[in-house]
Amino acid sequence: MTTKTTRRTRRTRTTSIGDGRALDHAARREASEREPVHRPWLGALLAAGVAVAMGVAVAGISREHASLPQIARYALEVALPRWKLTEPVNEVVYGTRGFDTFGETFLLLAAVISVVVITRPRERRRGYFGEETAGAREQAQTDPAEGRDDAEQSARLAERREQDDRASGGEEPQETPDTTPLGTSAPETAETMTVVVRTAIRIALPILAVTGLYLVAWGYSPGGGFPGGAVLLGVVLLAYAGYGRRKISAVVRPSLIETIELAGAAAIIMTELLGLLLKGSFSANWLPLAAAQTPLSGGIAQLFSGSELIEVGTGLTIAVFALLGMSHDWARDKNGGEDER
Amino acid sequence: MILVNYLAAAALLCTGLYVLLTRRNLIKIVMGLSLMEASTYLFMVSLAYRAASTAPVLLGPPAGRTARQLAHGNVADPVLQNFCLTAIVIGVAVTAVFLSVAVRIAQHYRTLDADRVRAMRG
Amino acid sequence: MTGPALASLLPLPVALPLAGAVAAPLLARLHRRLAVVAGLVALAGSTVVLLLQAPSVFPGLVRAHYLGLWTPVHGQVLGIAFAADPFGLLFALTSAVVGAVLLLYTLSELGGLGARELGGYACLFQLLLAALIGAALTADLFDLFVWFEVAALASYGLTAFFLERPIALEAGFKILALTTLASFAVFIGAGLLYAANGALNYAQLHNALARHVTTPDLIALGLLVAGFATKAGLVPFHGWLADAHTAAPGPVSALFSGLMVNFGIIAIGRLVFQVFGVAGTHALGLLLTVGVISALLGAVLALAQDDLKRLLAYDTISQMGILAIGLGSGTAPGVAGAVYHLVNHALFKSLLFLCAGAIVHRTGLTKLSEMRGLARRMPVVAVAFVIGAASIAGIPPLNGYVSLSLIHTGLLGGHQYLPYALMLLAQVITIAALGKAAWLAFFGHRERDYRSLEPLRPGMVAGLASLAGCCVAFGVLPQFFLDRVMAPAAASLLHPARYAGGVLSGTAHLPVPHLLFDYVSPAELAGVAASAVIAAVAAWGYLRIREPAPVRALRAVHTGSVNDYAAYAATGLLAVIAALTLI
Repeated sequence: MTTKTTRRTRRTRTTSIGDGRALDHAARREASEREPVHRPWLGALLAAGVAVAMGVAVAGISREHASLPQIARYALEVALPRWKLTEPVNEVVYGTRGFDTFGETFLLLAAVISVVVITRPRERRRGYFGEETAGAREQAQTDPAEGRDDAEQSARLAERREQDDRASGGEEPQETPDTTPLGTSAPETAETMTVVVRTAIRIALPILAVTGLYLVAWGYSPGGGFPGGAVLLGVVLLAYAGYGRRKISAVVRPSLIETIELAGAAAIIMTELLGLLLKGSFSANWLPLAAAQTPLSGGIAQLFSGSELIEVGTGLTIAVFALLGMSHDWARDKNGGEDER
Repeated sequence: MILVNYLAAAALLCTGLYVLLTRRNLIKIVMGLSLMEASTYLFMVSLAYRAASTAPVLLGPPAGRTARQLAHGNVADPVLQNFCLTAIVIGVAVTAVFLSVAVRIAQHYRTLDADRVRAMRG
Repeated sequence: MTGPALASLLPLPVALPLAGAVAAPLLARLHRRLAVVAGLVALAGSTVVLLLQAPSVFPGLVRAHYLGLWTPVHGQVLGIAFAADPFGLLFALTSAVVGAVLLLYTLSELGGLGARELGGYACLFQLLLAALIGAALTADLFDLFVWFEVAALASYGLTAFFLERPIALEAGFKILALTTLASFAVFIGAGLLYAANGALNYAQLHNALARHVTTPDLIALGLLVAGFATKAGLVPFHGWLADAHTAAPGPVSALFSGLMVNFGIIAIGRLVFQVFGVAGTHALGLLLTVGVISALLGAVLALAQDDLKRLLAYDTISQMGILAIGLGSGTAPGVAGAVYHLVNHALFKSLLFLCAGAIVHRTGLTKLSEMRGLARRMPVVAVAFVIGAASIAGIPPLNGYVSLSLIHTGLLGGHQYLPYALMLLAQVITIAALGKAAWLAFFGHRERDYRSLEPLRPGMVAGLASLAGCCVAFGVLPQFFLDRVMAPAAASLLHPARYAGGVLSGTAHLPVPHLLFDYVSPAELAGVAASAVIAAVAAWGYLRIREPAPVRALRAVHTGSVNDYAAYAATGLLAVIAALTLI
């Protein structure tokens, strides 16, 4: 009876947040029971419409039989004489249109800092924050009445245990991978993988690392900062998977890695800025050009690419480890009580 | 055959868009956005292609031709390939942020259903 | 300094906030507020460099610089051009100055946040401001897309900042999904335009499109307009805006509403006027239609809201609609009025959102029905809010009166009477909505008194006072700003051939129209008085009746589901493309 009247009164009130907990549960049950039927056919119709529009557009332009645009031809022509680069795509990315890549670096920085901000642990704040009061009120309304289930319970317990462990600098746990059951939602308590995996990783890691650095230094001709950074991330993740968080935390310290990433970004700003100071224009080349097909041939292209390697590699590492290290800091736990610090 | 590329890009785009328009699970929405990203990469690279062209690389020209002749010859478009590289980085960045938001939502609401995470309406 | 030397300094206003953003997390480890202070220093530097350009550019000059000195070769441009024209310089200056005020406000209000939080916040804030300045000054389509993405990614982190509020996460994933969809539209549109015309530079594109405009060009324009309209919050691409502004911290909402939505309008203005040139397309009619719908829908939904920040967010949608109407009129007073309204909106909307943020921060209350009588406890905030509301209402001598009157003049001059009438209707409803907000929040009697509220810190008072002062200044000296700043900016949009010539050759002069603003025009004053009275009656009546059926239907359409909002955006995209190609 209550749900019916609340449903009717909801239509005449002006808002749907803050009308009381029973209301929101009724709304939630309504939403999940009544699958919106208009979405599949509307979605199909809209997707088909977009396909038609794209088809008309692509049919209207001359594609592979058109001649190359003149600016593309110009990019090909200046690659060797002006940059001593045999890879025109790298010349466009790091040289002639280097400012776009400059912007893209900060795009990645924005994403990494966004991930860090979203996954951050709770810190102590000074002063009264009305947002916290509002947040507590909203959480009380949206918390489902079902309470938490076993998966969340074990996850919270394991997080607390890990935090206490880290705080007290505990000793190595006794578990081996074989005794931990598969599929638990808790963070892994077994630290490392089996000796076969570890040996394989020990052999593969240096090869991978050298490949990544080769991509940056050579990779056709200078300019593999982005893929080099991705390979570096792969190296770190492989080590993490094989050796466990405790051993990796000694090397991958968040503050250190963040400093390196910001140093890479600062190096990129300096690279472009020195063009303004030395040559009178923002992304002009100010380094001497070595002979083609040597590691230093592109002038600032190689400097830019190397800084990009540092920034991309460390940035993605920060993002991945921040995601892995998230805990239930911000969601209040009514049924257990001790999560509020 | 380049037409297959365009058809595949259109199919990926529409599948991704359909997922974004109809699926409620947040992870599926992320996957839909990834499909759309992949379609744009394919689209850009296909637009860069010219009939019977080689890659825009001036390294190791075949016997009898100089690098300069290659630069003036039939190569694909390097500028559009630059577009594609930038888009790849954007795709990684957006996916990383979206997944962290999805995990936080799962912690707060204990669900990944977008229709149940709808306190703000009207 | 010589012209070319000054032009070469143009990337500095972008690089300085970026450097500040890089330094912010490191400085925050030393002392939490140092990160924000560094941001203030960086923005001050940007403002100085931009002001160095101002004396030569604002009288009507376009000055371009090619980064890396990759100048055009026979009219073909590979390099990236940075062009200071009055339109872009105005928006860059507005972003830098208002951004600095918002950072000052953050220093006072949110200075108690944890060190890592504040460092991340300052970093993202400055990245967003750098992207806005970069987008205003660039003359390259792909560079515009890159800055669009930087601004978008920074906005995701800022929206979801207060993680203890579940709505922040909900708003975070909605803005993420919808803005990513928009970014795909912009990307594909830019790629199509390049494939069809072989150009990325605005001037080169203008020359290529001036010869002939094909259907793929129009489809590309549709995609670009749809993508940037999402950023601007025009209907039906507006699904993310209300949620994001409600959930974000106070200064961040001010940044979004005051500056970030301008990004979309700036980009649309540049594409429609400077790249495509209005002659060959139906873009003006499209802008008028979208503008009228946005203005009405935003105003009606604002009136219906109970949450203060959500009300202000819907009002932003309405004001963006009015900007689109001004641009869509295509006449000199209309476009100058739209540019004037752009600056005014940055000022008064930031002011309103800072006041709303101060209320939420101090009382923890978000609903108007729960707040009453705050004027006694927070008098400075009350005065600032009333000034902001009066500015939007268009009451002389505040700034809204000037820009709205200019847009009216433009519409009447172009014989567009239906948009004029609908715009007046939207204005009346807007005044009612803001009057309701001001009344319910600040006046009236509250049974339970508030807990002791912290007094405002000096930084906050300085921020509110400077924004309010600018609202008054822009309202009291209209002819000055019109002659020196707004008319040249309108000229930059209305004379695309001159702009294109300037970008390709390095400098060009723009013919600045001489616009007279009749301050005491009896029609306008009567209109303002009448709308204020009608709005007061409407607001008083609305608080007493049940929600009318059309309003209920509109609210039911906004289901809050990201799938539905994406469907509306996709429908809008198809409608825009159809309007441009089929009519």
